[in-house]
Amino acid sequence: MLADIITPDLFAAALRMATPLALAAIGGTICERSGVVNIALEGIMLCGAFAGVAVTLATGNPWLGIVAAVLAGVAISAIHAFTSINLRSDQVVSGTAINILALGVTGFLMEIMYGHPGTTDSINTIRSVFRFESNADGGFVSTVWHWINGIFLSHTPIVYMAIIIAFVAQWAMYNTRWGLRLRALGEHPRAVDTVGVSVLKGRWVAVLMSGALAGLAGANLTLEQVGSFTENMTNGRGFIALAANIFGRWTPLGSYSASLLFGFADALQIKLQIFRGQIDIPPQFFLMLPYVLTVVVLAGVVGRSIGPAAVGKPYEKK
Amino acid sequence: MSAAEERPAAPRDWASIAQKVGTPIASVVLAILIGSLIMWISGYDPVAAFAALYQGAFGTPKAFGDTLLKSTPLILAGLGLAYGFRANLFNIGAEGQLFMGGLAAAWLGLMLAGQPWFVSLPLLILAAMLAGAAWAFIPAILKARIGAHEVITTMMFTYIARYLVSWLVVGPLKSPGQIPQTGLLPVESQLPRIQSLFSEATLQAMPFLKLGRAHTGIFVALIAAVIVWLVLKYTTLGYENRAVGYNPFAAETGGISVQWTTVKALCISGALAGLAGAVEVMGVHHRLFDQFSSGFGFTGIAVALLAKNHPIAVVPAALLFGALSAGGGTMQLMADVPQKIILIVQALVIFFVAAEGIITYFIKQRQKEVTSHAG
Amino acid sequence: MPLLELREITKAFPGVLANDRVSMRLERGEIVALLGENGAGKSTLMNVAYGLLTADSGEIRVDDQPVKIKSPRQAIDLGIGMVHQHFMLVEPLTVTENIVLGREPGRYGIIDFATARQRVREISERYGLKVDPDAKIMDLSVGMQQRVEILKALYQGARVLILDEPTAVLTPQEVTELFRVVRSLVDEGLSAVFITHKLEEVVAIADRILVMRDGAVVGETTPGDTDEIGLARMMVGRDVVLRIEKGASTCGEAVLTVADVHVLDDRSLEAVKGISFSVCGGEILAIAGVDGNGQRELVESIVGLRRPSSGTITLKDKDITRANARASIEAGVSHIPEDRHRRGLVLEFDLAENIILGDHRTPPAAKNGIMHPKAIAELARKRIADYDIRTPSEHVHADNLSGGNQQKVVVAREIGRDPDLLVAAQPTRGLDVGAIEFVHKQIIRERDAGKAVLLVSLELEEVLSLADRILVIYEGQIVKEFVDADADAETLGYYMTGGGGSKFASDGSNVQAIETPPTGGNE
Repeated sequence: MLADIITPDLFAAALRMATPLALAAIGGTICERSGVVNIALEGIMLCGAFAGVAVTLATGNPWLGIVAAVLAGVAISAIHAFTSINLRSDQVVSGTAINILALGVTGFLMEIMYGHPGTTDSINTIRSVFRFESNADGGFVSTVWHWINGIFLSHTPIVYMAIIIAFVAQWAMYNTRWGLRLRALGEHPRAVDTVGVSVLKGRWVAVLMSGALAGLAGANLTLEQVGSFTENMTNGRGFIALAANIFGRWTPLGSYSASLLFGFADALQIKLQIFRGQIDIPPQFFLMLPYVLTVVVLAGVVGRSIGPAAVGKPYEKK
Repeated sequence: MSAAEERPAAPRDWASIAQKVGTPIASVVLAILIGSLIMWISGYDPVAAFAALYQGAFGTPKAFGDTLLKSTPLILAGLGLAYGFRANLFNIGAEGQLFMGGLAAAWLGLMLAGQPWFVSLPLLILAAMLAGAAWAFIPAILKARIGAHEVITTMMFTYIARYLVSWLVVGPLKSPGQIPQTGLLPVESQLPRIQSLFSEATLQAMPFLKLGRAHTGIFVALIAAVIVWLVLKYTTLGYENRAVGYNPFAAETGGISVQWTTVKALCISGALAGLAGAVEVMGVHHRLFDQFSSGFGFTGIAVALLAKNHPIAVVPAALLFGALSAGGGTMQLMADVPQKIILIVQALVIFFVAAEGIITYFIKQRQKEVTSHAG
Repeated sequence: MPLLELREITKAFPGVLANDRVSMRLERGEIVALLGENGAGKSTLMNVAYGLLTADSGEIRVDDQPVKIKSPRQAIDLGIGMVHQHFMLVEPLTVTENIVLGREPGRYGIIDFATARQRVREISERYGLKVDPDAKIMDLSVGMQQRVEILKALYQGARVLILDEPTAVLTPQEVTELFRVVRSLVDEGLSAVFITHKLEEVVAIADRILVMRDGAVVGETTPGDTDEIGLARMMVGRDVVLRIEKGASTCGEAVLTVADVHVLDDRSLEAVKGISFSVCGGEILAIAGVDGNGQRELVESIVGLRRPSSGTITLKDKDITRANARASIEAGVSHIPEDRHRRGLVLEFDLAENIILGDHRTPPAAKNGIMHPKAIAELARKRIADYDIRTPSEHVHADNLSGGNQQKVVVAREIGRDPDLLVAAQPTRGLDVGAIEFVHKQIIRERDAGKAVLLVSLELEEVLSLADRILVIYEGQIVKEFVDADADAETLGYYMTGGGGSKFASDGSNVQAIETPPTGGNE
């Protein structure tokens, strides 16, 4: 049985499942590094997922769907930016409102556009970038090739984009002007202000970037994985992404790695469900696994992981 | 600010009360206006929609009964959220505790079949509160001991609770038949309908008492509101809760255990959410199934925020959201507007209330600036 | 031609006229001191010059040209740099990253860290401000951090350096070093504005002194034309007593005994490394030291906010080593915390609620968990009357009071409890002269009533004027004891920075070498 569970596609699924979490988590990292808490990732992702499907259904072009998802993410995160940066609302409350708003807006639009609640029509999901032949029957080399091909070369574009984004964001955070200012913003915004760099602008950019990334995460969910939109389909992924960001100690690569862990747990529980006949555990317990794991990670592994000093605090110019 | 001018001590200024009440009302009005705008843009008639909604929420005694029915768990969940907010804790996962409360009530109700109502009702309520508190306990401990953010942990526990209930109603607690649900609670474990308390003659004489499905859980909720208010205002428990919420460092210096207060606050919040689940099971469905709550725990957030975390103000705030929820169906039926617009209005209310808080915050900051930056 | 000139600057906040037609000018190569009490309007004026605040009316001229300064960026572009009282440094970032922040060298948005480091090194060598460009700010001493702030201003091309209360956190030796640095900068052609409320510093450093009171300039003078007494009179508007009168102490039985106490800080490093002392009734024992040498952890261990890792703390005959804050209060310890906004008060509570904090479980405030609002209000009114708290009623929220009145609330609560031991940590921080006098009198009254007082202060003036006995703390250990009269500021400062005794070697980075210890020690 173990050989049936541990296969290339288990790890491939882990990468796939990790992708929406990782994109949202990196968005959360950027946002929180600038000093703004973003518990709205869940809702932003949902909006991206919906916009992606809606535009793809309308145009038949999933690439336009991806663009739409990103734009939708940016648009809805702009509300979060405005309330938490300009109006200096409580950021967690604002994020909660966004999450509720996203549920309402996607559900409302779904009914007026498609005439029914629930799930949209299906679209053709975006296909994987590479399609190499491989099989496990041959010798050592062909088996290795089969595993490499299965795990790393079987993916859709956004999966690769997420990996690239993780590395680029990590590099940029420690080597560019933007990165230095971002890291300073979340720690001591007044210090940034007093050297003549706008705190407002820096935070706006960060929140919008997190919106774009969470929107892209939504596009990955619907356009590459599921192929349709269902109400509230993000199912807590935005919150798990926040945990991944904390586990990854507020760094893009850390966020990606933590997301891989959660993605693996998800892939494993799906895989195990296939063997339901042999393992006498109700499926609900497998479905709980990612959420339990998130709590365990927050409780045990993270310990007293300390975030940016000024995160969650609205900045007020003197 | 150093002046000691003689001013009569007026702890309850009518102007300040008007201001406190005025801004939430303004938030609601603004949210409804924007909601109307969205309907209008989408090609609906907002006037007809809200007229239908009003009809569905207040039009008949039965409709008002539905509003009370929806408000009951909202009051309790809102109280739970408000109590947590007062300790600076955001129990975003009240929904999960609500599920556990409903589960405890349903399970114990089935166990206690044959007991008289004065035994089973208090026991069910107690069990539901304990279950809700227990579900909040691990996030509470994690928050107090290592600072794990309760927004993430209680949210995760909500999903866990949902899957747990969804397993139980297809598995161990499932009643015979096709539908995944528990068996019906014995009558002794049900909260009776309000109209069932009156004789047919009384109902004939006073038709406004024909409140349909509204049940006596509303009295449980109202009593809870008064108790929470008294606790916050007149007990050391409430004093410590508020002190920790405003300034944990000063509270700690004053000999208050911040960790223990945090645990108590989140568990009490969970107990109230659990009670919300219990009244829903005992008063409305009389059984448990996995969709028994229509997001009362989450709407409770909006209720508490709109009430500015004041336990008494939670009641009208819950009535408002209860009315929106009760009238939403009629609105969809009569004006063809998707009920989801209610969620949008709810989100808008939260935005405006939060932004309003910022206005007063801003004024305060300006006043502080005078003292601290005038140096 | 003045380098910087402010003409008729007026700035009002709701209810307060912070600057009322204030004018000043600064010539090239000049050090001007702005002297005034807290709230006199010094910082407001300089924040206007640095673009952090915009004046309601008035004119700013640089190089005799009228300019508008609406943001720090514009101020920086005009060559105005500011060293803030609370450092504008990002703790987890390196010295270089902090200095170049906002003006990072590089192309296409990519920072050229080699060049950045090189430039930092150049400036630091040119002005003799040695610093490790790769050290993280959080690992540096306060004096060193201030040096980074100065370097930052210089990197940005400052010709005018505004120093806002720069000596508040420094030892006397660090102050001397700072003065040397500022002097050498001025010799290089820069100009400086020195904001302070300390008289002796003004006399030591300034070429010209502007005295401010209540938002207006009330006098201009030079160090040669006046002395500290004259300046004090100008600053406060009346004659002031520079030292408090108090009688001799009568030492009773030992109230607090601290025996070989070790305490860890938040990072689990040992902050208090085996301290022993005792305080007797009727005595004020002061702990003097530079901020961050273990005072905070020592105080927290005594008042029950932090558990010592070893050693014992005894109050009278009761072991309170492992007591929490509640047990400590119940045992008879009162605590005036160093930061009234953070630890002293719940600003959102009204006065009555604040006055019972810590006594809120016991009669008269409460019994069996039920509170008694009437009794609480009565107690609050009594305290308000006894301690001259200026407020319309006991239901006013604490954040609507002035700093002095807020501190009176804390003092009223802690002394009103009638404790055996009063622990006062920086009890007069940020207060004006009148409030300082009030707090000092209350502390002396406690002593005269036979109570034990433990005073922890960074202000040497305060230590010297209040204490019956002084312990100097350095790097978590008591390095010196003085009995009242044999201490002076210089000697205290010498021991506070690790002088005297080879086992307390200084790290050499923030302390200039002292060849000969000043006289005054008695060991």
